[in-house]
Amino acid sequence: MVERLKNYIGGEWVETGSRDWSPVPDPATCELLAECPESGAGDVELAVQAAQTAFEEWRRTPVLERAQFMHHFKNLVEDRFDDLSEVVVRENGKTLDEARGEVRRGIESIDFGIGVPFMMRNDGVEDISSGIDETTVRQPVGVFAAITPFNFPFMVPIWFLPTAITCGNTFILKPSPQTPLSMQLTCELIDELDLPEGVVNLVHGGVTSAQAIMEHPGIAGVSFVGSSPVAKIIYETCTRNGKRVQAQGGAKNYIAVLPDADMESSVKNVLGAAYGCAGQRCLAAAVAVGVGDAYDSLRDELVKQVAGLRVGYGLDETSQMGTVVSAQARERIVDMITEGEREGATISLDGRDLQVEGYEDGMFVGPTILEDVTPDMRVAREEIFGPVLSLMRADSYDEAVELINRSNYGNAASIFTSSGAHARDFKYRVNAGNIGVNIGVAAPSASFPFGGQKDSFFGDLHGQGMDSIDFFTDRKVVIERWFAG
Amino acid sequence: MTPLNTFGAIMSKAIELESALADYYGRAGDSERARASEKRRQKMMRIRREAVLEITLEAIVGLDSDDYALDLDDTSESGQARVASTAARFYREVAPGINVRQARSALERAAREHAGE
Repeated sequence: MVERLKNYIGGEWVETGSRDWSPVPDPATCELLAECPESGAGDVELAVQAAQTAFEEWRRTPVLERAQFMHHFKNLVEDRFDDLSEVVVRENGKTLDEARGEVRRGIESIDFGIGVPFMMRNDGVEDISSGIDETTVRQPVGVFAAITPFNFPFMVPIWFLPTAITCGNTFILKPSPQTPLSMQLTCELIDELDLPEGVVNLVHGGVTSAQAIMEHPGIAGVSFVGSSPVAKIIYETCTRNGKRVQAQGGAKNYIAVLPDADMESSVKNVLGAAYGCAGQRCLAAAVAVGVGDAYDSLRDELVKQVAGLRVGYGLDETSQMGTVVSAQARERIVDMITEGEREGATISLDGRDLQVEGYEDGMFVGPTILEDVTPDMRVAREEIFGPVLSLMRADSYDEAVELINRSNYGNAASIFTSSGAHARDFKYRVNAGNIGVNIGVAAPSASFPFGGQKDSFFGDLHGQGMDSIDFFTDRKVVIERWFAG
Repeated sequence: MTPLNTFGAIMSKAIELESALADYYGRAGDSERARASEKRRQKMMRIRREAVLEITLEAIVGLDSDDYALDLDDTSESGQARVASTAARFYREVAPGINVRQARSALERAAREHAGE
């Protein structure tokens, strides 16, 4: 009998009142791994009550003690590193290297959480006025929640959880119902920590539970990562309900390749950026713009290298690309490729009919290259979120920058060049929150904020880095005077 | 044909190789080399866990596990020399394919150790 997942609320594994269960299959083998409940408002209410009850004690727990929990948490994650990586592969479909990289990036965020005592320090001024001192104090805010996506089922929740709770808040996590198992295992590790009951709570589900989180008055703030339309809804609903919110949306990331780029090395990196995690990451390269003479050599080198990519089951270490997450995702990606072809793009490499021996029913889409893509085409404008790279021409560097800035999205953009002047100009002018210079995946490490502009981000304070300390704390100002005798 | 075409495939091959060598040198009565292999195995496991950098993962081409087959039945002196030479060649040839400095250094060092340098 397949496991039916339980919520983790108030330090206990509890059954939901759900009648709706969604299957969690391995997208390569189609084996049913678990069933995920659709928690309702009542389940969210229980989680909020537990988190609110825990908050008063937890905020009084010294910050160094809170950070110690993160040390122990890190050790547990390190001990179970291989298990966590395997779970990520099995529920998401990515390769083992990608899963290990994801878990490692998550551990970076735990490391950042361990540093919270340093980052919560106050500042102040003596004698701001005669005999009067003024200081700021960072205080935890209350109950926070995170609604997280399927594409990085371990890393993204861990962007938020360690910092939020080490700052003294309590936490409710709602992972994607498509990939709930990484957080299920993570919460089993959290259970071993003996945190006070209710500091961390796990609520499984989809839209119903997300809606309840957005509307619950007991939740002070929400972190979200997902598509732009949903990010916008999350932002609007949460702000309407008086919450702090950081909502990271989708992307259409451009890469400009200049004629002076080291083509072989650049393409190797572009390839990783476009097809890593089967293109299912918000920092994936979606459009490569060949500037001037670079276009032909970029296309030729890309086709040569991409054709050699080995697609297969993620747990097979010789697989260089895994599956997409689901049959629906596969269908949507294939439809987008077909739409691109209908709009006039040339398919240089077609992954629509890829079959992987031994995994004939798996959700595979092979690496695909669309040529002659123009800015008005749907494949140039909309997020595909799959292993599809569109190639565009630009006659000049300025035209490439114009193409990039025309996009509604602004998550990331990269330039491949050996020109410092072009690189500097690119950093300066391009409207994207994360800029890569000779780096295809411009992913900030945990101590830097994860940028995002235009429709790729809704909010003020980004995830990660000092932004996250600001998001998870309130700065109180104390003005004090003491009368002598 | 088992391609060594990913960071993980190369590191796992190194782990498997050192595990086999620890056993091999133990059978050959060379406990010092057996210990050294076990130490390298643990180091390679740590590197596979810690040095994987998701944003710079790149495809690796032109390497195959079958090119580094070891004759582990022959524990004679000349057999040991051949095994050490193959292990050194493995590390020497796979190291340039790895774009993470920490991992590449460890592989290069393993090549030198197996070559007795």
